[in-house]
Amino acid sequence: MSLFARGSARAREHFDWPLFLAVVGIAIIGVVNLYSATSPYIDDPRRSGLADMYVQQVYWLVVGGLFGTLAAVVDYRSIERFAYVFYGLGIASLILVLLLSSDIRGSSRWIDLGRFAFQPSEFMKIFVVLAVARKLSDDPRTETKTLIDLAPAALLFAAPAVLVMFQPDFGTSMIYAACGFTMLALTRLRRSSLVVFVMGLLPLCWSMWHFGLREYQRGRILSFLDPEADRTGTGWHALQSRTAIGNGGLWGEGFREGIQNQFGFLPDQFSDFPFSVFAEDWGFVGCLALLALYAFVCAWAVNIAAMAKDRFGAAVAVGVGAMFFWHTFFNIGMTIGILPVVGITLPLFSYGGSSTLTTLVGFGLLMNVSLRR
Amino acid sequence: MKLFMQRSDVGDFRRRYNFMVLGIVIAFALLTARLAQLQIAQAESHQAQARRNVVGRVTLATTRGVIRDAQGRVLAANRPSYDIYVVPALLDFEQTWPKLTQWMGLSAPRAKELAAKVREIQGREGKRRLQQMLLEVDVSRDVVAALETHAAELPGVDVVPTPVRYYPYGEVASHLLGYMREIDAETLAQHEGQSYRAGDRLGAVGVERRWESYLRGQRGWQKVVRGANRHAQRTGMAERFLDDPRRLEPIPGRDISLTIDVELEKAITREMRSQLAGAVVVVDVRTGRVLAAVSKPAFDPNVLSGEQGKAAIREAFERLSRDPLKPLLDKTTSAVYPPGSTYKPFSALAALSEGLIEPTTKVDCKGGYEFGRRFFRCTAVHRKVDLYDAIVQSCNTYFYALGELIHIDQLAKLGMDFGFGVKTGLGINPEARGRMPTRAWYARRYRGDGFRGGFTLLSAIGQGATAVTVMQLALSYAALANDGTLYQPQVVRSIETSSGTTVQDFPPRVRRIIDVDPAQLALVKQALRGVVAEPKGTAFAEALPGVDMAGKTGTAQVGHVSPRSVDPKREWYFNRDHAWFAGYAPAKSPEIAIVVLVEHGGGGGKNAAPIAMRVVDAWQKLGKRRLTAHNGGEPRKDGTSL
Repeated sequence: MSLFARGSARAREHFDWPLFLAVVGIAIIGVVNLYSATSPYIDDPRRSGLADMYVQQVYWLVVGGLFGTLAAVVDYRSIERFAYVFYGLGIASLILVLLLSSDIRGSSRWIDLGRFAFQPSEFMKIFVVLAVARKLSDDPRTETKTLIDLAPAALLFAAPAVLVMFQPDFGTSMIYAACGFTMLALTRLRRSSLVVFVMGLLPLCWSMWHFGLREYQRGRILSFLDPEADRTGTGWHALQSRTAIGNGGLWGEGFREGIQNQFGFLPDQFSDFPFSVFAEDWGFVGCLALLALYAFVCAWAVNIAAMAKDRFGAAVAVGVGAMFFWHTFFNIGMTIGILPVVGITLPLFSYGGSSTLTTLVGFGLLMNVSLRR
Repeated sequence: MKLFMQRSDVGDFRRRYNFMVLGIVIAFALLTARLAQLQIAQAESHQAQARRNVVGRVTLATTRGVIRDAQGRVLAANRPSYDIYVVPALLDFEQTWPKLTQWMGLSAPRAKELAAKVREIQGREGKRRLQQMLLEVDVSRDVVAALETHAAELPGVDVVPTPVRYYPYGEVASHLLGYMREIDAETLAQHEGQSYRAGDRLGAVGVERRWESYLRGQRGWQKVVRGANRHAQRTGMAERFLDDPRRLEPIPGRDISLTIDVELEKAITREMRSQLAGAVVVVDVRTGRVLAAVSKPAFDPNVLSGEQGKAAIREAFERLSRDPLKPLLDKTTSAVYPPGSTYKPFSALAALSEGLIEPTTKVDCKGGYEFGRRFFRCTAVHRKVDLYDAIVQSCNTYFYALGELIHIDQLAKLGMDFGFGVKTGLGINPEARGRMPTRAWYARRYRGDGFRGGFTLLSAIGQGATAVTVMQLALSYAALANDGTLYQPQVVRSIETSSGTTVQDFPPRVRRIIDVDPAQLALVKQALRGVVAEPKGTAFAEALPGVDMAGKTGTAQVGHVSPRSVDPKREWYFNRDHAWFAGYAPAKSPEIAIVVLVEHGGGGGKNAAPIAMRVVDAWQKLGKRRLTAHNGGEPRKDGTSL
């Protein structure tokens, strides 16, 4: 009881209102935007079900909020103890997915549990962050490190990255790698190791292009480099997305008035391109406000890391922050045409149970670290 | 101490945070810069593109003008052809396709072929999948009924009516009317940017071609707002993007009224039944209007216009172009023939007007005429004949003698006065000029020397190098009948709007008042009357009671030829003489001129004259019927209103 009282007292004292409000704010905007994105289906008798997507998303947010609260309440140091266990379960489920291979849209990412299908690769993001954080925290040496020193930690995110590559899910694989490297960047690396690492990247990219990627993935990157060359094929999505965003102009077309979305020119507007819907409805001004919120959350995560009282907490905060940041950067970058089209969701904007749950559990951990600073 | 612990533990991470925040700032600045580029710098072009995406123009079809005969009977009209379209993206091969092919009655291989086509487009990304794709043209009404009944079970399948040309009288007057063909690449390139598009149909020959620009009409358009697919529309938003003008009404093609009488055409076709090939032209001698123009054999313009599909068109053309009787040729204007004895009145007039002969001077016909070292044959031994007898009995000897007196250029001059050797200006189908040979022509033909006096003798009986079209002969006989007025033949009487208002009315056009002595003309006309009325006349045997007619028979020899396409067993046919009859009726106060040509029909008196008689008879009966119809019609109900 006393523990509970102490806990609630600290919660009141340390409760991270800025983080909480920013996340809730983005989530509300996200749901409203999802309503706009699917509103063209309201009058369509064949697909009116899709128009209720935003309600479903609210359910996900509530469920995600509960899991997030759980992740915030349990002391993260006890979570640290189980980090490798979670990680092991995650790897097992990824292998399970590959074995079951229930096919959705040409790639197998899902495990079907009757009413719900979930994506282990989503939850794995959290487990990777926890495992890498644990690894970093287990190594208390503060001197500069070599590549060999970092290899075990790198292996922790490389293994699931390779597994999801086989699904194939290039986007998620990239997220693991990006989060992992960001976390490794917390440590100090020897100059010479850095040079070797950068030199090593080039042949890695070359072999990825030739052996790691599938034909359609190469096509996406090619059509990104020259979208005009293929106006109707792969480049079409990217082109329509840019047109939608540009059509928003400075002030936007207004809520539910974006014509690119309303007339069905935006592909995957609720999963991959919700930002385009938002940009068309609210214009540059709206985008600026939304980007400010996203940027704030990212920066705030670093702030929490800076204030964390141990290495694990700091690494978790950076990892969750990196997850959020890279999702945001890749997704928006792809919608505005500075990055190739990869299926990476925009946190709290894209429709999806697994991804919403993962994001909110991530924020729970962030809050957890913030509460116990 | 706790604080210290914390610092030492997290210490080596510390210096990284500033870099991370810097990284975040740079990344978001990059995104913001790009957004500014898209939403501010390039906003206008993207906004324009977005509007172009949703605003489109749909074409509003126009209808082709109707062609009618002199009595307002429809000769060429439009009917709907039901075409089947599918939207590949919406087509379900498990559920819909088997039903569709069953109701369409497609054969298994054809269905397979079409399925492959649809699947090919289905496999592509982008817009093509969402656009309608033509599956089959002009399906039967049964198929239409079946598909409409089951429309709910066939998502992605549409039955679209498009107008096609329809000729209710089939082969009747087909050369004059013409047919429709699909536009070819060359014509399309010529009309670049104009109203023609790939797949359009245009008039191929005849009136359909000559009056294409009137019949065609003009397409309209309407601006519409449309989504990437038909189901992604939001009602109410559409209005915002449509700027004025929103719609251009299509203009229907002009209707055309012809001078021909389809009942007369049918009567002629009926009378020509027993003949393989030939041509008949009937003109109004008082106006030059063409009342009927028949060329045999004919073709079915419905088939050539695609009524039975593209395969049938190809097949029909192959058959028609192989036929040695040349069904595609308009034998009334596009082909020339030696006129034979039908030309004799003009030779007589030429000699009379030059004062070379006296009408009463007699020539002794002993069955031929010796000229130089050649003996020119006559059809019989006529003994002593004057001009009248010579025309009535068609004595060649008389005209050989005439030919020895006259210069060939004098013959040609009078012929050209009557419109021979010159295009008539009908302007419907490519017109042959014919030929009035002169010394100059022979000089060109035989390189200077080589003119023989015998050529003039042959010209005088309408043989040799003389060649005329059936239309020319009809108009020259009309000029004889109306005492010297040569008309330009006329097929189109007026042009009307689709609502019936006359836009343009074509009055008769006189080409020339021929300078001919009335007394001399009267002599010739009397002789032409004698051909039918005199017991010795070449057409007397064929005269019908109640048909008051004047005219001239002709039996034109053809050069011995063996056309390559002709079966040797049937070669005899192509070496037989052409049978002619040219005349006018009624003889006393002429109203129509008629020329009948039976290709390789043999003797003109026996083979062409009876057809002419019966056609005139039919024409008289048609006239009577029309008269009674007019008089016996319902009296006007003045004072009563609806």
